[in-house]
Amino acid sequence: MTRHRPLIRRRTRRVTLASVAAGAMLLSACASGAAIETAEFADFDAVLHAAEGQTVDLWMYGGDEQGNAYVDDELAPAAAELGVTLRRVPVTDTADALNRVLNEQQAGREDGSVDLVWVNGPTFSTGRQAEAWRCGWTEMLPNMEFTDPQDPLLTDDFGTPVDGCEAPWHKAQFSYFYNSETLAEPPSSLPELLDWAEANPGRFSYPGPPDFTGSVFLREVMISQAGGAEEIPLEFSEENFQEYSPAAIQTLEALAPSLWREGATYPRDEQALNQLFNDGQVDIGMTYGPARLTELVDSGALPDSTRIMPIEEGTVGNASFLAIPANAQDAAGAIAVANLAMSPDQQAIKADPEVWGQFTVLDAERLDSEDRNRFEELPSSPVVPDYAELSGNAHPELDFDWVPALDEAWRESVARR
Amino acid sequence: MSRAALLAAPAVLLVVLVLGAALLTALLQSLGLLPLFGEPEFSTAAWTDGGALVESAGVSLYIATTSTLLAVVVGFLIAAYALTAGRGGRLIAALSAATIPIPHLVASGAIGLLLTDAGFLARLLGMPEGFPQLVGTDWWTAAILEFAWKESAFVALVVLGGISRSAAALSETAATLGASARQRILHVILPLARLPLGVAGLVVFVYTFGSYEAPWLLGPVAPEPLSVRAVRLFGSVDLAARPEAMATALTSVGIAVAVIGLGVLGLALLARGSRRRSPRRSQQHSQLPSSRRSGAGS
Repeated sequence: MTRHRPLIRRRTRRVTLASVAAGAMLLSACASGAAIETAEFADFDAVLHAAEGQTVDLWMYGGDEQGNAYVDDELAPAAAELGVTLRRVPVTDTADALNRVLNEQQAGREDGSVDLVWVNGPTFSTGRQAEAWRCGWTEMLPNMEFTDPQDPLLTDDFGTPVDGCEAPWHKAQFSYFYNSETLAEPPSSLPELLDWAEANPGRFSYPGPPDFTGSVFLREVMISQAGGAEEIPLEFSEENFQEYSPAAIQTLEALAPSLWREGATYPRDEQALNQLFNDGQVDIGMTYGPARLTELVDSGALPDSTRIMPIEEGTVGNASFLAIPANAQDAAGAIAVANLAMSPDQQAIKADPEVWGQFTVLDAERLDSEDRNRFEELPSSPVVPDYAELSGNAHPELDFDWVPALDEAWRESVARR
Repeated sequence: MSRAALLAAPAVLLVVLVLGAALLTALLQSLGLLPLFGEPEFSTAAWTDGGALVESAGVSLYIATTSTLLAVVVGFLIAAYALTAGRGGRLIAALSAATIPIPHLVASGAIGLLLTDAGFLARLLGMPEGFPQLVGTDWWTAAILEFAWKESAFVALVVLGGISRSAAALSETAATLGASARQRILHVILPLARLPLGVAGLVVFVYTFGSYEAPWLLGPVAPEPLSVRAVRLFGSVDLAARPEAMATALTSVGIAVAVIGLGVLGLALLARGSRRRSPRRSQQHSQLPSSRRSGAGS
């Protein structure tokens, strides 16, 4: 009896192992990608009709309280009037939303749980590469007529043609800010800023790429080292990269010993840099969302003496968009919400610094006088100048492919100096 | 098969099935056979990409080893104190047990606020110039301290749960025979606690090896441990980074499994050794693994 037991046990074990392996193969075989069929709509009325009763999951960065409040208190009630329930899904990073879409797409899910995403350029480009977005739906939006079809910020997103795959939501301008109490005469250009940082050891730092903000700063340094935005081709190629990136990397390597913590480490993200700024450890901060600064100062996250630092040669600007995954379950509702978010009414509410302060994507020339007045009468912020002033001399974003290439070069050299 | 094994089989089978599918998918993705878009193409590039994988594994091993050693030493001292110091000891044991339900993310945030350059401690001390840099250093000091603090409480709990009854009696007997506190700790409690210490140490090692929050929040930007690297690459806007993310995650799993295997082997030898010396003691040792916690909620 006892002699036989091990034999039986061994055999059962082998059978179990085999069946487990087979099951695992089956489960992972289900994960092969499948083409996703997207429902088409004849016109916007058909969209509104189909949208009624749908629940739209809007995936967006959740670390911005004003943005959260705007969506919950303004956009969602307006969507409810269309019969659409708008549900905000907060994520720590926009890439998380894209990741979810890609994973569901890979699993062959056609009733995707992500309906609408507040995307940034890199996420949009990556998604287009993987054909994750629904395309050709923005022409039918009635509110597109209030935008300028020639506006380069709205036709290209990080060098990727928009092609009706995302609807504009707001404009942004990369901005530096400083503490007017500790820094009486702030630098007025990026080269001056780097010189200032070298002359004042330990008082400057930037978020470590691939953080979004740090990554922008890296590109700004590259553009500045090349002699300005006109000097550098937007298109990415290995030759262009070899020609323009070394100067930026060397500059930042040389600057590192003068940074906070002698450049041994870097703030993790924009929030970490803001924390250093608020603690008085550094005198200069940076953000791609200057609209948020008013609220950050009001809430005490940044000191009252925070001021925008005008940059002579201008900074990079872009627009952010709302995109719909190709496999979104409630696509009609998502299209309806994207149109709603672009309406003069919602754009004006959103542009109020008390609400969110995001700059509008609409073209004032195309609005009727009543709507135009709403934008002109918006209260001004003590911290942030208006968009026209902020975006003076602005230059467009480089092609998306520059982003991961530069981030990796930085990580390999500056980060492990 | 014993009845217990049969009863557990459905649950184990399900876990193994799901886990197996996940690991297999990860393996296929790491080899480029399951791309997010485009044609599958076999490639080992993600596994052989420079020294980044090795370096990350080194960082992870360093953090896990140091944290485990600290946690085991401190945990044992807490347990020994609790067993020998009467009412005060029980208070210490209760205090240390109270830290166990705190999630690591919250604990990491708290440690960060406490120890950063302009953090609570630096302010309390009037921001001295010489305040040591602990957060985001090359030595991972803050992350290791966080692990050591949280996990030492776990080690103490396991040790106390495993040996308190027998150790208290034996320790009292030793005391009546004139043994000093030091002698009781070294010659009574330590030999009894070897197996629970080993079990707890193994759990702590594997947990800290795969843990993400503390190294991410409290460590430097580069170099990065396996967990942080895997998550960063998984969330990268560069889709080509997905195979590398999977290779990193699988490396972490592989090392953890190897350590568990070696650890269980070592513990079995240890148990056999002590059983040979004292048959009565082993009986209670065999109950120990039941006090092992599930890794997830810790």
